[in-house]
This record gives sequence, structure tokens and C-alpha cells, in this order.
Amino acid sequence: MGNRSVPIVVLTALFAGGLMTLQAGPFVKKFGATALAGWAAGYAVLRELGPILIALMFSGRVGANNTAELSTMTVTEQLDGLRALAIDPVQFLVVPRVVAMVTMLVALTAIGDLVALTGAAIVGRVLLDIEWSTMYHGFVDNLRPFDFLHGIYKSIAFGGAIAVSSCYFGVTVRGGAVGVGRAVNHAVVAAAISIMLLDFFLTYLTG
Amino acid sequence: MMDADPRSMPGRVRRQIAAVGGALLAGGAYTRELWEVYVATWAGVARLVSRRHLQQGRPRGEIVRQMYWLGNRSVVFIAVTLGFIGMVMAYEACLQLSRVTGDFSQVGAQLLKLDVSDFAATLTGLMLATRIGAGIAAEIGSMKVTEQIDALRMSGVLPIDYLIVPRFVASLVMTLMLSALGGVVMYAASGLTAKYSFGVNPGTFFDASMVRGRHVALLVIKAAAYGAAIPVVAGFCGLRARGSSEGVGWATTAAVIGGSFSVIVLDFAISAAALLVLGGDL
Repeated sequence: MGNRSVPIVVLTALFAGGLMTLQAGPFVKKFGATALAGWAAGYAVLRELGPILIALMFSGRVGANNTAELSTMTVTEQLDGLRALAIDPVQFLVVPRVVAMVTMLVALTAIGDLVALTGAAIVGRVLLDIEWSTMYHGFVDNLRPFDFLHGIYKSIAFGGAIAVSSCYFGVTVRGGAVGVGRAVNHAVVAAAISIMLLDFFLTYLTG
Repeated sequence: MMDADPRSMPGRVRRQIAAVGGALLAGGAYTRELWEVYVATWAGVARLVSRRHLQQGRPRGEIVRQMYWLGNRSVVFIAVTLGFIGMVMAYEACLQLSRVTGDFSQVGAQLLKLDVSDFAATLTGLMLATRIGAGIAAEIGSMKVTEQIDALRMSGVLPIDYLIVPRFVASLVMTLMLSALGGVVMYAASGLTAKYSFGVNPGTFFDASMVRGRHVALLVIKAAAYGAAIPVVAGFCGLRARGSSEGVGWATTAAVIGGSFSVIVLDFAISAAALLVLGGDL
């Protein structure tokens, strides 16, 4: 789940970091406020954009995949087979997936944050002529460890939400191929909504 | 040792080079096929406009029905997700300002400019890539694995004209509409958060003085680009589905990833082009 998602997370994070520098671009061009770009991009990436985008990608890749796998098992009655062998499907299938997803999303967010800051610095250098060192000081002087931590504990909550919704829609599926498609669709939609809700409440409650 | 390989390179290195080369070739073939579907979709739209499709027996009102499924049924989803993002953005922006200057007079105008020129269209596009991308891929993928697509081909109907073109037109129109709606909801939610959490006067917050025509143009260009990309990527993934229910699951996953990633890449490309063309005036 985790290692195979690294390429897509790295690519997403690279573009996302670049985008945040681009949004600060007009200011930088107009006022020459190069220190601002590092502050704005770093802050947005670490606290909001990094965790949210990586969680959305993770939900698309791992969550949807997991729903597809579990629902295929459900419609081919493999879960009933497990029950007949006195194996609890939740214990056997759901619990390892939930633990793996939460752990890996946290790890991927940490990687993605770093890559996104690199992307922000590259775009700043190439498109806006901001020196590497200016960007670096923009990050270091304005960001606190808590900003990074804020993104990390959000990603724990997002990982839990993605895992629970993808497993729930996987084991409750009805019907054949059509049902599997619908279950995946519902799982990613539920995950996206819960990511946004959790993001708001975590930001609001913890500042 | 050398896996009995007569050539001089060690087997492990060879295998790794072969793996990288294989991945590149597969990626190239994938991109080419996706491009062909995109071109075929535009050809289908051209046939639709020139009315040459009439003998092909498309169900009447298919585009309107797709607009309802892709657009109207996404309204609540878009309103909820973008509303919450708007609240978070206002909260984070005001929190930062209260630590630095404490001057909230510009925050509303700046946020509106960001919403219009980027966030409204891009976040709507990301959310729609999840919702309608997964829906289209699941539907077309199910048809593919139950051999309904082959049945269409047998009857002399082009699957792209019949299945992807109506969704393409519907998504193009509805992404524009939903981006506008999403932007309004998002900004309203931002304003309410600023008012109730930081006491920013709504009269100061709802300030459109920094929005120019070019920002609105960017919104339209971005929404149109995402609206065109999402159904093509999803339809392409659906048409590639193999096997049975597992294949449909894989196709749906690929559609969500492909759609979200193309939204992010398109956003980057369009924003960078706008910055290079307009510079500090953006």
C-alpha cells in the first residue's frame, strides 16, 4: 500500500508545491517580496495542501483499490467462506488494512511535505528567479515544527477515515461487477467528504 | 553469478534497466492511447455538431440525462466539500495575519482573487475527478467486462461516440457551472468564518476590488480544461477494463488517480503559462 504509492505521491507533491509558489508569484513580481514566497508556500503546504492532496491521492489509489479488492471478495462469497472456517473477516481482513493505511499515509505525508517544499523551491528558482537560499530562509525562519506536526496529525485522522470508509463499502457490497464499481465510487466520495470535514474540525479545534 | 548471460552486463543491472525501460514504454503506449481517445472524442463532438450522428441511433436526450447525473447530482457534494475548504482557508489566513500584522482589511479581497483565479476551479475539478471520474469508469468498465461494448461495435456504433461524447459535453458544461457554484459557496463560507471566528466585518470581507477580467478568464479556462480531461481519462480507463468485477475495480481506481493527477498538472501548466504571459499584472 505504501511503497507502491510513493511515485504518485512524489509527483503530486512536486506539482502542488510548485503551484503554491505560483500563487505567490504576482506579489513577488510586483513588489519583489521574495521572502514572502517561502513563507506562503511552506505554510500552505505543511498545514493544508500537503496533507489534503496526499490524502486525496491515497484515497484514490489505495482506498479505491482496497474497496475493489474487498468487494470482489465479498461478491465471490469469499467472506462467507472465511466465516464458515470460523475466521472473523473483520479481524482477518479489515484490521491489518486499517493499521497499514494509517501508518503509510503518515509516512507518505512526511515524504510528500519534503518533496512539495523542494517543488516550491524549484518553481521559485526557475520561474520567479528566487535564490535557493532565500527560499530556504523563507521556510526556516517562518515555519515552526508545530506547522509540520499539524499536517502529520491531520494525516492520521485522514488515514483512519479512508481506511474505514474503503473497508465499509468493500464488505457491504451487493451485486456483481456493477456493484463493485458502485462500491468504489461511494468509497472515494465518502473519503473525500470526510477528509474535508476532518480537516476543518482539526484546524478549528487545534488552531 | 551472471545467470548464464553471455552478454557482459550483470543480470541484476540488466533486469533493472529492463524494468525501467518497460515502464517507460508502457507509459508511452498509455499516453498515446489516451491521446487517441481524446482526439476521437473531439471527432465525435464534431460529428455531433454536424448532425451526422443521427443515423447511429443514440438515445434521445442522452446529453441532458448525463448533465443531470454528472452535474445536478454533484451539487451537494461540491457545496459541502468546497464550503469546508473555504472555512479552513479563511481560518488559516486570518490566523496567520493575526500573528503577523492583525490587519484584516485585505484578507477578503485577496481570498476572492485566489478563489477566482485558482481554488474554485481546481478544487471543484479535484472533487469531480473523484466523483464523476469514478462513476464514469465504473459504468463503462461494467459495460466492457459484460461485453456490451463489443455488442455496440458489432451493431456498427462507435463506443466513443455513443458513451464518451455525451459525458464529455455534459461534463464540460457542468464543470463550469459547478466551479461557479463552488466558488460562491467557498467564499461565503470563508466570509462567515472570518466574521464569527475573527470578527471581520462582512462589508470589509466581501470585496471584489482585486478581481479582474483575466482572473475570471482563468477560472473559465481551467474549468473547461478539467471538464474536458476528466470524462476522457475516466472513459479511457473504463474501456481498458479487463476480466470481471476485479477489472472494474482497477479501472475505477485508475480513473480517480488519472483524473486527479491531470487536474493538478493542468492547473500547474495553465497557472505557469498565465504567470509567464501576464507577469506581475496577474
